Amino acid sequence: MKTILDYLSGETRTAALSRAVFSLVSVLIIWQILTATIVMNRMLLVPPAEVLDAFIGEIRSGEMRRNAWATCLAVGVSFPLSVIVGVLIGMFLASSRALSLIGGPMLSALNSVPIIALAPLFIAWLGLGFSSKFVLVMLVAVFPVVVTTEAGLRATDKNLLETARSFNATHIQTFTTVSLPYALPYIVSGIRVAWARALVGIVVAEFFGSFAGFGYAVMAAGQTFDTATLLAYVIVLGAMGLIGSMIFQWLEERLAPWRKE
Amino acid sequence: MNTHPILEINGVSKTFVRRDKTEVAALRDIDLSIPKGAFVSIVGASGSGKSTLLRIIDGLLSADTGKVRVNGAVVTKPGKDRAVVFQNDSLLPWKTVIQNVAYGLTLSGMKWREASKIAQEFIDLAGLKGFETHFPHQLSGGMRQRVNVARGLAVDPEIILLDEPFAALDSQTREIMQTELLRIWQQSGKTVILITHQIDEAVFLSDEVVVFSARPGTVRQKIPIVLARPRNLDVKRSPEFVQFVDKIWKLIEEEVRAAAAS
Repeated sequence: MKTILDYLSGETRTAALSRAVFSLVSVLIIWQILTATIVMNRMLLVPPAEVLDAFIGEIRSGEMRRNAWATCLAVGVSFPLSVIVGVLIGMFLASSRALSLIGGPMLSALNSVPIIALAPLFIAWLGLGFSSKFVLVMLVAVFPVVVTTEAGLRATDKNLLETARSFNATHIQTFTTVSLPYALPYIVSGIRVAWARALVGIVVAEFFGSFAGFGYAVMAAGQTFDTATLLAYVIVLGAMGLIGSMIFQWLEERLAPWRKE
Repeated sequence: MNTHPILEINGVSKTFVRRDKTEVAALRDIDLSIPKGAFVSIVGASGSGKSTLLRIIDGLLSADTGKVRVNGAVVTKPGKDRAVVFQNDSLLPWKTVIQNVAYGLTLSGMKWREASKIAQEFIDLAGLKGFETHFPHQLSGGMRQRVNVARGLAVDPEIILLDEPFAALDSQTREIMQTELLRIWQQSGKTVILITHQIDEAVFLSDEVVVFSARPGTVRQKIPIVLARPRNLDVKRSPEFVQFVDKIWKLIEEEVRAAAAS
């Protein structure tokens, strides 16, 4: 028993994989037991196998593709754009102390408002479909990027800046060779947070304001008490979140290997 | 023989204004004249403005009064004729050794092909062959400072300014680096100005040691180090060496005591 635990807490790639498989299997077993013993009502919870059936059914009927297209298009356009806009605003704020002092309070005020709550308003303004999703995702995803970009640029090591200056670097050279590379891992960590938020944003926007997309499908399945289909879509969304998070985490470590040691 | 000094410092003073508006005089009326090819060290108690003077010489800071001239031209900003090697880790962590050494060259617009060739020469000179593609975090403190020195030399400055370059190293590594620096200096023929806390380091390396008073820094005394060159670590055990160290140590001690009493 001890040796198994030792192995699972190891650093190797296979140990990490075993851990993931182990926790996944445990969840599935508990889930299966739960649906067989305590929660017998199929409207509340269905066993894993039925969720898989529903998932395959959605793929066969083409519903999965239609919804995936709607969601991915909206996220695919609005998320990269919110990253770009976030980085630009962050750079703008970091460029002067006055700007940061003026913009800072406004930013934290906006950041603490649950923008999701404004979803019905945006849908009323912009109608059902792409544009309301686009704006909502932009608004929730942009803030973490702004904040980390500014923080990263401000945190830039003073010694490195002085070094660049001692070699007669221009402002642009100092930015591209020192500040930006220094801030990059910060920015990526902001993007990772933004990705999780963007998924929440898109789902909420689709709940209220569309006829296609994962959020719409979850809502529709919920209203017809089709718990299996609902869970199938939730799992797809979960996978999107997890994969995105893993990619950005990897990128973060890749960009700043010196911070690990 | 070159009769003109390469570096002239005339009446340089500098006062810093703190955030709470109080003033701190860092340097007062510094006059120094340094001949081409010399190795000069500046020693003094903490807060005697040594690093401030170094930054004024490089042009990173401007003096309130007085002038710094390099080859007769007044210094207003950093220039190609000077390079600084800083105390702290000032290597770019995302660049490899060779990219770091070539950094100053690429900033001045040199193509990578040429810059990397020059960088390679100085990597060899600094004894870093085989570590070209390593990143700074993969090197020891001593090796990082070699990279730092190589980077300064690579831009081919006339004057190299060293700001306590070995302060963060353990004493064995420091001694090795001192002899390495001596070797590199003799090969390159550059003018070197070294800021240091280590009196024995200053005496071992220098032609002249300038002792600064406590805050505000003024030139307390200039002491020519009359020890034969080339020097090796054995010289540290000679009675002359010990006398120089003692003399400088007493001067600094007086300054520290006077500053503490006032």
